[in-house]
Amino acid sequence: MTSEVQKYTLAQVESLELKPGTEHEALEGWVPELASPEDLCQALEKAFDYRGDVTITTKSGEKIEAFIFNRHTAATLADSWVMYFTPKAPEKRKLRYAEIARLEFSGKDRAAGKHWEDWIKAYNEKKAAGEKNIALHPESLE
Amino acid sequence: MWTVATYVLKKRLTRTQRYPLILMLEPLFRCNLACAGCGKVQYPPHILKKQLTPEECFAAVDECGAPMVSIPGGEPLLHPQIVEIVNGLVARKKYIYLCTNALELKRRLPEFTPSKYLTFSVHLDGQREHHDFSVCREGGYDIAVEGIKEAVKRGFRVTTNATFFDGAEPNGVRAFFDEVMDMGVEGIVLSPGYSYDKAPDQNRFMGRARVRRLFRAILSNRKPDWKFNMSPLFLEFLMGDRTYECTPWGSPAYSIFGWQRPCYLLQEGYAESFKELLETTKWEEYGVASGNPKCANCMVSCGYEPTAVMDGFGSMKGFLAMIRGTFSKYPDAHALNLLSEPMPHGAGNLIQIGEPSHKMEETAV
Repeated sequence: MTSEVQKYTLAQVESLELKPGTEHEALEGWVPELASPEDLCQALEKAFDYRGDVTITTKSGEKIEAFIFNRHTAATLADSWVMYFTPKAPEKRKLRYAEIARLEFSGKDRAAGKHWEDWIKAYNEKKAAGEKNIALHPESLE
Repeated sequence: MWTVATYVLKKRLTRTQRYPLILMLEPLFRCNLACAGCGKVQYPPHILKKQLTPEECFAAVDECGAPMVSIPGGEPLLHPQIVEIVNGLVARKKYIYLCTNALELKRRLPEFTPSKYLTFSVHLDGQREHHDFSVCREGGYDIAVEGIKEAVKRGFRVTTNATFFDGAEPNGVRAFFDEVMDMGVEGIVLSPGYSYDKAPDQNRFMGRARVRRLFRAILSNRKPDWKFNMSPLFLEFLMGDRTYECTPWGSPAYSIFGWQRPCYLLQEGYAESFKELLETTKWEEYGVASGNPKCANCMVSCGYEPTAVMDGFGSMKGFLAMIRGTFSKYPDAHALNLLSEPMPHGAGNLIQIGEPSHKMEETAV
């Protein structure tokens, strides 16, 4: 949540001309300090919103490359969990917060740095150079 | 229409408080376009390679029980078993809207069988230049139109679906409606864009006031041959004639992650079952009345069309309004005059309808 307001009144909502977008933090490469349970909860909340993989190091020393897509924060770390997919396994996996020792935003943020204006600029440059069938292409999955 | 009407009436008679109308079944997130405005496909490659199996799709459809299933994505036609999925849903007598950018449609059409239950809902955001710019692919419009025409020729049901962002130009949109109706499609589906949290570009999302102004300009003074494959009450909501609250459970979304909370647009987490989704989501935290900034600009069909449909089939007053809306051309001299005036800020900007009209100040005559 990055809008500048926490809550809108109905009157504010109905009179909105433009909706402020989400300002994404540059998290790629970040290794949060996990000094307290609050630090861990906040970092995992950011990991849940992150558009890329993270690397989790468990207290037993295992390193897990994970795309975190769900989380549940309860009263204790033992009752809180994240759900994730790893690149090498087909099934969903679950890990308790209490088992997490380190977190690194190791994967690429899949949307960072892409803007409509970049597309317009690229289009105009390619058009001026005489290119045809100008397009943005999905990134390779390999 | 009859299927939906009886479904809604049955739910009302059984006093079911929350029920789905259309399941948003996302069998994969992989796509063959890279639209700057898209917030649905920003995932690492290993997620984009995953897909629901036909069995997982059928289980979700059976569990949800909605009479209609929309299959968006990603691009569903990239799913290697999409034909099996569609056939399984047709066998279940579900009304399917297969949402596609149509880049693969012409090639894959021979694999599908025309059915009253199957509609190809082809993503077209406007006339050629506008659409190609919107999907960031030159030539995308021509390929999609070729697919549409072939599908119509082969006897398939086809609609177009368009999403409008800031900068949509009403006269161009109206000309686009003429074009698509000439292609022989059954109807047009449209929606304002939503400020997807995960979209790469975060600067082109209209607020509700601007949405109403845009749609009042577009949808007033309708031409006789325009057909909309949507609830007329939802279109009146977009024009500012009606105020509705969101019905997020009306269009639940299911994907490789599970049942998405709270709706197709927001990703606040996932439930393991549809029952869990209904029973454990804090619904009061969503919708415009909640003040939640994430819902502040939303007027999107997946949240508000269920409200309109339930309104239309839920009372005689709503039903009569729906009938009236089906046949009305919504004459509005003020909107027409404004369409005839030169654009105040160039072709990239919206026409400013300006003077207040009906319920909402910016749409009033």
